Amino acid sequence: MSHLTEEQFERIMQDGETQEAHLESCQLCRSRLAEKRALAARLKSAFANVSAAPDLADRIRDSLPADKSPARARLVSRIFDIRAHRRSWVIVAGAVAAMIIIAPLVIDMLTPSPAMAAQKALVQIHRNNLAQHNGFFAEAQPEKLAEYFREKLGFNPRLPTPEQGLALRGCCVRHFQGGVVGSYVVDTPQGVMSIVIVTDRPETLGISTEFAHGKHVFWKSSFASNNMVSARIGEYSYCAVGEISHRYLSELLSRLLIEEETD
Amino acid sequence: MTLRSRFEKTACAHIDAVYRAAFALCGARETAGDLVQTTFLKAFENFGSFKTDTNCKAWLMRILRNTWIDRLRRQKTAGPHLPLDEDGLEHKPVAIETVWSNPQDLLENFSDEQVIKALASLADDQRLTLFLVDVEGFSQEDVAKITGVAVGTVKSRTSRARAALREHLSSWAEEMGWTGGRQ
Repeated sequence: MSHLTEEQFERIMQDGETQEAHLESCQLCRSRLAEKRALAARLKSAFANVSAAPDLADRIRDSLPADKSPARARLVSRIFDIRAHRRSWVIVAGAVAAMIIIAPLVIDMLTPSPAMAAQKALVQIHRNNLAQHNGFFAEAQPEKLAEYFREKLGFNPRLPTPEQGLALRGCCVRHFQGGVVGSYVVDTPQGVMSIVIVTDRPETLGISTEFAHGKHVFWKSSFASNNMVSARIGEYSYCAVGEISHRYLSELLSRLLIEEETD
Repeated sequence: MTLRSRFEKTACAHIDAVYRAAFALCGARETAGDLVQTTFLKAFENFGSFKTDTNCKAWLMRILRNTWIDRLRRQKTAGPHLPLDEDGLEHKPVAIETVWSNPQDLLENFSDEQVIKALASLADDQRLTLFLVDVEGFSQEDVAKITGVAVGTVKSRTSRARAALREHLSSWAEEMGWTGGRQ
């Protein structure tokens, strides 16, 4: 007696049918089918309790750039309106529409999102800081860090003061989007965070969810298990990065902002 | 409705399913979360080209698979784990003459973690194919589109994956002394 082939078994598994005449007379094939079904059911049940972390959906939504292409969507919609109402222009309008629609899409697909690239770069800076790679200046004295930044970058960034209960671990100058930026590392009761100081506005870095904390406005996002909160101080965006809650990151930045008010 | 809100409504409903698939692929929760986040960012970037009357979950799974392959290639670990040519793989002969007499009882002996670990031991595309078919219930046609192969290849991959998974579990069962299941 020839038994069912693997392809026949897969068809039965896919379609759920059991009308194969052979099955009625072959105990071995019935047993093999029961085994395959039990295996599939067990595999499915094994994943029943696997679900995304509760904050993953928020992280994804936070990391999405602000609606980047409503103009393009409107343009597409308008083009299709024209096509619907002016049939005689179908061929010409279609060709033009295809050019207008496809060209930005192709360019878009070939070009990594600047927002995503910026967030990746910020997280990478934080990770390099944690590993103290590439010329990390390990120093806990705010004055020494200020001197380092003056020498390397010619500016005086806001630094937490010792009475704020936040220990400085050190600082460095990192490459970021074709330029160099300053960054320092702070030990906090909730973990280690990096503050990266850039001139770009938070929204252009994809840190686009605006929220208020106290009297101040912040922007937040998440990427690769790290949270980011940014605040504008003068001409700079101070981006706090770390595996620390948004609330706590904004709390630290609030302290830096308070210092600004008391100047 | 803005593009972003349409994306959130259409695509974000599938975060759990995409996460499960990512977890099946990489076997680590944190990496799976990163993989899912990158997948959704890529999906959003290309959402303008998504056809609303098509299967969004399948579209996301295809992006996930491509993202995973890109990541493996970047890490230069793709070689042995990327079964781009299924026929090039070696397969142990499957002892089809023996079957489990009480498959459900035997399989209940394994923890969820052990079953997922057994799945993780399969080659990438076998693992993803079996996951998509058995866990997510995709049709063989959908899986063919997601993984970029012919339907026939999906069938043979599924069959081989099942056999390999069974053999892994069988050997563990024997180690544990649960051999009474064979007949």
